[in-house]
Amino acid sequence: MNFKSFIKDKILLCFLLLFGIATIEIFLIPYPFGNFIKIYIPVAIIFIYIIGLSIEYFMKQRFYKDLEDTLNNLDDKYLISELIKVPSFIEGKILKDLLEQINKSMVENVNKYKYKQEDYKEYIELWIHEIKIPIASSKLIIENNKNQTTKSIDEELQKIENYIEQALYYARSNTVEKDYYVKKANLKDIVNESIKKNKNVLIHEKISVNVHDLDLEVNTDNKWIIFILNQIIQNSIKYKKQYKNLEIEIYAKQGKENVILYIKDNGIGIKKGEITRVFEKGFTGTNGRLIGKKSTGIGLYLCKNLCNKLGIAIELNSVQDEGTEIRLVFPKSSYLDIQ
Amino acid sequence: MQKILIVEDDEKLRNELEIFLSHQGYQAECLKKFDNTIHDILEINPNLILLDINLPNVNGEYICKEIRKQSDMGIIAVTSRDNELDELVSINYGADHYITKPFNIHILLAKVNSLLRRTNSNSEPKNKIDAKDFILNISNSTIIKDDKIIDLTKNEYKILKYFIENREKIVSREDIMDVLWENDCFVDDNTLSVNITRLRSKLEELGLKDIIETKRGQGYMLKGEK
Repeated sequence: MNFKSFIKDKILLCFLLLFGIATIEIFLIPYPFGNFIKIYIPVAIIFIYIIGLSIEYFMKQRFYKDLEDTLNNLDDKYLISELIKVPSFIEGKILKDLLEQINKSMVENVNKYKYKQEDYKEYIELWIHEIKIPIASSKLIIENNKNQTTKSIDEELQKIENYIEQALYYARSNTVEKDYYVKKANLKDIVNESIKKNKNVLIHEKISVNVHDLDLEVNTDNKWIIFILNQIIQNSIKYKKQYKNLEIEIYAKQGKENVILYIKDNGIGIKKGEITRVFEKGFTGTNGRLIGKKSTGIGLYLCKNLCNKLGIAIELNSVQDEGTEIRLVFPKSSYLDIQ
Repeated sequence: MQKILIVEDDEKLRNELEIFLSHQGYQAECLKKFDNTIHDILEINPNLILLDINLPNVNGEYICKEIRKQSDMGIIAVTSRDNELDELVSINYGADHYITKPFNIHILLAKVNSLLRRTNSNSEPKNKIDAKDFILNISNSTIIKDDKIIDLTKNEYKILKYFIENREKIVSREDIMDVLWENDCFVDDNTLSVNITRLRSKLEELGLKDIIETKRGQGYMLKGEK
């Protein structure tokens, strides 16, 4: 709010005032007052009016400037009504009151969706736990009746399990609440676990796995990281070269402020222009359109999302036709060390 | 024989578990009613229970706690919820291990084995496997025959042990790799060939030539003792 716009707002009042002064002057004509009185009255009225306007201007200007500054500095702008000082003029009071009401209604509305989403997530988690029981039974039936057919079914079951896991973590990644549990973990255990999870396919497809230099500790949630590694390994398997044996190399390096886990493969790689987009939701790219790949564009998006939540950086490097390297950067947290 | 009690409300799952565990040489039993679970478990008094944490009507964690008060049988908590907090809770209530559905059969078996070994303190852990025509020493992974002792590498030892466990049965290359991978040795096809060749030549040094037979297109077989 500047002075010009403030005066513009008051223009009608100014005209009325001038009209009033003119009227008074006209009425004064027949009376024998001296020129001093005739000039003093309008000057006094205008002078007083200007003082009044100035006081109002400075009061309002201060209030609105304050409001604007606070708003600009605020990350969650909807909290503004909590931060305004109670203004001394009536419009300000009305404004504050209205803001509070609007805010309340918005919070209620947002909460409605929050609870709905929470509810949905709970249902998904429940459903996932339910479906795991028939899968467990099926796996046992296969184990008790081992032959070529059941082995093939077992491989398909493994795929179902992977998709279910993806759904579970997708549901988890979308909520604000924290449902992970960070503690000290050994990278070797984590990597071994995720390789064993994919053991059947890796052995069957004759993929060589080379793990080394992994005896390092990081602070993280085991299950989440295993899930993330699982997605990465599955991607490597999915995008391997057709006529060449796939090699996956996993190793870690201790940095000054972090521990970096490298997952390298010699698969088909990613086109240069597409590398920056691989973490986008639903992005499948050129590789995704290759026959038989069935890309969903969810895997890496989820990885990124979960990494963000865990405070891990995920970076991807790739040369087309040569391979892909993914780096997971675990920060060293002194806070967690103390704990 | 070691007795394992399966406390699981899904009928199919518990029946298959029962079949699986009895195949593995355990005496497996199932609990079919869950109205007096704690009492039933204590009456059957197994060496180990596989306890589903989410049973109808009763709280699995409560069962865990109550059983722990009166018995030190092995308890493996089974659940389909997988997060670290649940795991902590069940361990705190006295479960020895925690496993999530759908479980990896080999891991389940390994946990059962190790737990039974530990709870049965009277049965000393064996550190030698007598394969009749030679002896496999577990404690320092060597083969002993007559007076000769030959060292084995970790992989060779695991392979030979698996052969002995499946003596006179054909084991495929994939089965062997499976066992090695389960023990964190992620060998590839070539390494496996090298390992087997080395193992054969070591056995040959002990006068056990051709004891590992190649079955074309199927795998290998450790021949029976002469």
